[in-house]
Amino acid sequence: QDRSVTGKVTAEDGSILPGVNITVKGTTRGTTTNVQGEYTVMASQGSALIFSFIGFESKEVKIGSESVLNVSLKSDVSQLQEVVVTALGQEKKRNELVYAAQQVTAEQMTQARGGNVMNALSGKVAGLDIKASNTMGGSTSTIIRGYKSITGNNQALYVIDGVPISNANNNTSDQQRGRAGTDYGNAASDINPDNIASVNVLKGAAATALYGSRAANGVIMITTKQGRKNSFDVTVNTGVTWGTINKNTFVKYQDQYGAGYDGAITSTGAAQPKAFYTGDLGSGTGDIALFDADASFGAKFDPSRMVYQWDAIDPFSPNFGKMTPWTAAQNGPDKFYETGVNSNQSVTITGGAENSTFKLGYTRNDEKGVLPNSKLGKNLLSFSASYDLTKKLKVSANVNYSQITGLGRYGTGYQGKNPNQQFRQWFQTNVDILEQKEAYFRNEQNVTWNWASPTDAFADNGPIYSENPYYSRYKNYSNDSRDNVFGYTQLNYKLASWVDFTGRFAYNGTNDMQEERIAANSADPSEYSRYNRSFNETNLDLYLNFHKSFASNFNLSGLLGTNMRRSKEVSIRASTNGGLVVPNLFSLSNSASPVEPPTEFYKRIAVDGIYGQASLGYKGLANVEFTARQDKSTTLPTSSNTYFYPSIGGNFVFSELAQLRNNWLTLGKFSINYAEVGNDAPWGSVYDVYDKPTAIGSIPYFSLPNTKNNSNLKSERTKNLEFSLETAFLEDRLGLNFTYYKSRTLDQILPVSVSTATGYGFKYVNSGEVENKGIEIAAYVTPIKTEDFSWTMNVNFSRNRNKVISLYGEGENRVKNVVIASLQASVSLNAAEGEPFGVLKGTNFVYHEGTGEKIVKSNGIYQASASANEIIGNPNPDWIGGISNNLKYKNLALSFLIDIRQGGDLFSLDQWYGEGTGLYPETAGLNELGNDKRSLVADGGGVLWPGVQADGTPNTVRAENYDGNTHSAFGYSSGAPRALYVYDGSYVKLRELALTYALPQAVVNKLQAFKSIDVSLIGRNLFIFHKNMKYSDPEDGLGSGLSNGAGGYQSGAYPAVRSYGFNVKFRF
Amino acid sequence: CVDSLDDYNIDEKKASSVPAVTLFSSAQKEFTDAIVTPNVNENNFRLYMQQWTTTTYLDEPRYNMTARLIPLNLWSSIYKDVLSDLNEAKKIISEDAILTPAVKTNQLAQVEIMEVMAWSVLVNTFGNVPYSEALDADNSLPKYDDAKTIYDDLLTRLSGALSNIDASAGGFGDGDLFYSGNVAQWKKLGNSLMLKLALVIADSDEAKAKSLVAAAAPNVFTSNADNAAFPYISSPPNYNPVSANLNSLFTSRQDFIPTSVLIDYMNELSDPRRAEFFTTVNGEYKGGEYGFTNTYSAFSHISDKIIDPTLEGIVMDYAEVEFMLAEAVERGFITGDAAMHYEKGVTASITYWGGSAEDASAYLAQPGVAYETAGANYKEKIGMQIWLAYFNRGWDSWLTWRRLDYPQIKAPVVTGLDLKLPVRLIYPHNEPNLNGDNYAVAAQAMGGDLATNKLWWDKF
Repeated sequence: QDRSVTGKVTAEDGSILPGVNITVKGTTRGTTTNVQGEYTVMASQGSALIFSFIGFESKEVKIGSESVLNVSLKSDVSQLQEVVVTALGQEKKRNELVYAAQQVTAEQMTQARGGNVMNALSGKVAGLDIKASNTMGGSTSTIIRGYKSITGNNQALYVIDGVPISNANNNTSDQQRGRAGTDYGNAASDINPDNIASVNVLKGAAATALYGSRAANGVIMITTKQGRKNSFDVTVNTGVTWGTINKNTFVKYQDQYGAGYDGAITSTGAAQPKAFYTGDLGSGTGDIALFDADASFGAKFDPSRMVYQWDAIDPFSPNFGKMTPWTAAQNGPDKFYETGVNSNQSVTITGGAENSTFKLGYTRNDEKGVLPNSKLGKNLLSFSASYDLTKKLKVSANVNYSQITGLGRYGTGYQGKNPNQQFRQWFQTNVDILEQKEAYFRNEQNVTWNWASPTDAFADNGPIYSENPYYSRYKNYSNDSRDNVFGYTQLNYKLASWVDFTGRFAYNGTNDMQEERIAANSADPSEYSRYNRSFNETNLDLYLNFHKSFASNFNLSGLLGTNMRRSKEVSIRASTNGGLVVPNLFSLSNSASPVEPPTEFYKRIAVDGIYGQASLGYKGLANVEFTARQDKSTTLPTSSNTYFYPSIGGNFVFSELAQLRNNWLTLGKFSINYAEVGNDAPWGSVYDVYDKPTAIGSIPYFSLPNTKNNSNLKSERTKNLEFSLETAFLEDRLGLNFTYYKSRTLDQILPVSVSTATGYGFKYVNSGEVENKGIEIAAYVTPIKTEDFSWTMNVNFSRNRNKVISLYGEGENRVKNVVIASLQASVSLNAAEGEPFGVLKGTNFVYHEGTGEKIVKSNGIYQASASANEIIGNPNPDWIGGISNNLKYKNLALSFLIDIRQGGDLFSLDQWYGEGTGLYPETAGLNELGNDKRSLVADGGGVLWPGVQADGTPNTVRAENYDGNTHSAFGYSSGAPRALYVYDGSYVKLRELALTYALPQAVVNKLQAFKSIDVSLIGRNLFIFHKNMKYSDPEDGLGSGLSNGAGGYQSGAYPAVRSYGFNVKFRF
Repeated sequence: CVDSLDDYNIDEKKASSVPAVTLFSSAQKEFTDAIVTPNVNENNFRLYMQQWTTTTYLDEPRYNMTARLIPLNLWSSIYKDVLSDLNEAKKIISEDAILTPAVKTNQLAQVEIMEVMAWSVLVNTFGNVPYSEALDADNSLPKYDDAKTIYDDLLTRLSGALSNIDASAGGFGDGDLFYSGNVAQWKKLGNSLMLKLALVIADSDEAKAKSLVAAAAPNVFTSNADNAAFPYISSPPNYNPVSANLNSLFTSRQDFIPTSVLIDYMNELSDPRRAEFFTTVNGEYKGGEYGFTNTYSAFSHISDKIIDPTLEGIVMDYAEVEFMLAEAVERGFITGDAAMHYEKGVTASITYWGGSAEDASAYLAQPGVAYETAGANYKEKIGMQIWLAYFNRGWDSWLTWRRLDYPQIKAPVVTGLDLKLPVRLIYPHNEPNLNGDNYAVAAQAMGGDLATNKLWWDKF
């Protein structure tokens, strides 16, 4: 006899649970709870009700005589039942996934409070390669499973609550290629870390196919915190960290020889007449330091020798017109770096009523960088709300606003605005940086150490190459702002118990403004330039989401939808021309010569997609899933603008097999999938246009552009195959996930570099096949778990092997190498057939056939290969990994993360120039005979490079090393093979350390207002256990630039910054 | 939907079609820039000819071509910025159905003259270069053609262009930045170019050189008013590239000074052009030591006149034409008075730089300058004076030096280095990467890709 049973379903904490599935056991009858968490179902006494809900353990309750049955569900924390947010915000249980995905929790993201969400992912996910730059707010490269596109974008797509957001890098292309520029960072760094509930990294194409083209490089899915019904919660975080440079990642200087190129001696051993200028700067005729020489291959220091130094020209200096002892600087450029301060305050309020939820968050972040006159301010606001209009109709909205203002962002690459150009490459070891500081602050003039003239008076003199670095920081500064709005409105309507409709309109708009200056009396003519960009993207998604159980053992779910994406980017970049009229008035109208026409862009992209997904599950034992998507993009030629791509995957949860159900195996799952993802072309790569340089007076002229477009482009495609095995043992105390993948990217749309004999520097082609294959291992273990003490360790390991299978052209016209970036010192990053992506090419050592040793020429310098195009390095790491440990004793928790990168080569322009100019300790001191390396070889000096002579006998010829032009044993001036300056980029870093003390509940309760108070001591990048680059941080490289963050190159590298501080978290 | 949004992929801020003349103007500007610039990254011929030297950085005066991308930058300027625009202009002109036929013919002939001029720089700098398969975006791997074959074709093309030019019809109008549309001047420029190109092969193909010189000589430049020059203006980016690299308005660098090799010679002859070329130091003209570091303040600098942003950029001038006529007489290619041509050349150079005719005749009266006594042979006499006349024209000076072998400059002697004067530029460093097989064939055909391998016409 059926009768009506009613009741309310709640979570353990008492909050109501709407949408819980209730089925009468053994029948197909069932219902779901309403928004009040209430249900009514017809069932007979003695039968059972099964309550199931995502994120909670299912519960079976026998019906007795009662007519009201209230049920409380336990939240499910096991791996197997863990809810994972997948493409388009769908929630799935882990055992339903047919692909590898790795989740990072909010706690893991914020424990060390770095401020940048992207950097906080480093070392936490297998297969995710994060490369942070050491600049304040600088760009971070996010690469998942290796480089797929040869010249295009390789950065992962960031998706927040199901909606893709812009992660644009608006730095100049020069900056992105490692040349001069300012690093303004990329937009994903504006994501508020305190707003994050979880991050899920979708690595393979099967996981990301529903996002369409842009997800080909993987997706970082961020789920933000949401309010819960009938709750109220306030969290306040307040914290400060301080940052100082890690001196192990900065230059050390030789302290024996000062300014000059020509050395102190001549080839005969006589004193070098040009070791000093001679003149009278005030105290009689005497030696004048070689101000204009930006090298330290000059006269030997001698405290008894009195010399006019750079301050003798400065009338405001106590040393004006005076000679001072010729000694090495007391204070080196490491003292230029200050202590950074990062203060972070945030409040998050979440809550909900019977049928509504809301969240309000505000974060204020103030950062003062380690360079003088640098700061970054962030205001991050977020609001979201949902309301159940009826039992079937729910509306929700979410808006996030971020405002970033930067001052004095760091100059990068080879330019005066990067102080490391002088510190690492072109410097005089006699220059005391604190004296430079005093000189600047006396009257804010450009009192450089690098005067153009040894005799001209202060008023007529100025820097020849290098500014006083303080002048450069305080006068030639940049400022910028970025306003970003992101949000959506969404409507869900339950059409039937098994199908709901979702409509969502999302908007992401950004306004960027960047201003740069060069003040009067700088080495370069004064200049003002500005860049304005506005970008917006809208996404309209309409989809049906269905799930239905049938035949009691089968579960069918899926979705069917359409996406319309529209984006528009308008930008303008302009600068003054030929100097400024009124000094230090920074406006375009103050240009000395007519302003050149600004560079304008007006880029619009439209993509329409339709997609579908179907998953069929059997008893929680096995699942199969199909997806298909078709996109139509305006960036492709109209005739071939449509592309379709499918995926198929399946899994088998063998731990659900009856015969394997036992105590030790908690989870065992095997998945396999195959997926394809199509991709469109970059905007503006189809039709040809002309460049219009500045007119010559009234005569205009046009020119063919550097890149030849292609009206026959077709879509590109990535094919991906993945196997994964997930296991958990002993009630989840131990787990091991293993994934193997192989992806091939075909028909890549590339602007390939071509011989300029073709009339162009680049041309767009469909070409290239790049293969990435690798393994990922994520393991965890909880060796100790007692009432009071627990210890959990997570280990990630990934190894990617990357290979350029083919480029383009056929037969005789087959192209075997594409230059990705042409770098200073005639070194290049390349895609070469049969080689890993990004190989470094340049002159190599020549090895002796018999002995295999490097050949040293008759002048004692390594012989360089005749060809400048030998492979001299592979920037891809052999493997990357992370080990994190979480130890808990009562209220005390300690966590630390060790981040490891093995291999990955870099060419250091810093060493190439800086050793050539005699800055580094290696270039001076004693040789193996105990004699001064800067003495003549004839006198027992010089440098002995290990190797063999042309005949194979061990090298005994020491190289001359007494001047910085031709008789140098090091760097650019020695003409050594570039391979000598290629370094292994491995590192082992203590990335994060956090010690958190949760105030005992008894104490908190006495304080009344609080639910909990946690006090943490935190540190980031505290220690580098191992690295092979002596004077720099191997992680600092090209940011997220056009060269795809491929790295492989350092120029003016910034030292790593250690940060440490505290955070207090209050919950009300 | 997407299909109705065709215009989304159009670059609305750039032109999709342009008048041919604007491409011609662009090619004139880019060609002049490439030839005139002293930037160490692209054009070091003033150094190679020991007219200038550097103060601090010695790679370039010591003939290092790989520390920077020098060969690539020159190569790319000519191919990508000059020839490709000319090629495009030619296409547009040929397809223009409305243009008056005579004007069309003239425009095509002028494009042809510019092209020949640009190609001749490439082929006389590198030797074998991509030619027949070049400038085709569909062919990423153009083969290198034999330098002599290219050169013969250039001479044929130039003859053809010259016979097509009709001075009574119009040309490019104001967009012709050399001559403001004066077509008759192009005839003179074309013939002067023919004279120059023909003399290059005087040692290797005397008969051909002779007939071409004889045909061209009557129609060459007759005064400085005929000079082909680009009218630079005061502001970047259309200012004289010399000013960009030397003028304190635009740079704080102090890289270049004149050499003692040149200044000592000019001092010996009390050359009136010194005041126009150099500044003085303590009332003297003093040059730096070639190939070694020099203290900037201790030596004469390049004059304000030469580093003026508005100084015109000379592509071909009257003085060189007269010197070449003198040579042609000496070689027996034409009849006439070699001394007279020589004197006209010297005079044209002095008056161009601001000296008077009297200055010139006083100068010419000195035994060291007078044609009779200036040197052992015509190569020395002409070679030395054309070297001075080419003071601000490094590439042309280098070309002529390779022909005449005067002045007899020597590579700097540096212990531990074996420096040799370059007689060609090596190929761009990235050609082996981008066009490897063809590069290898070309390098082998030239006896190796070396700066010391002489070009086919360089017999002495």
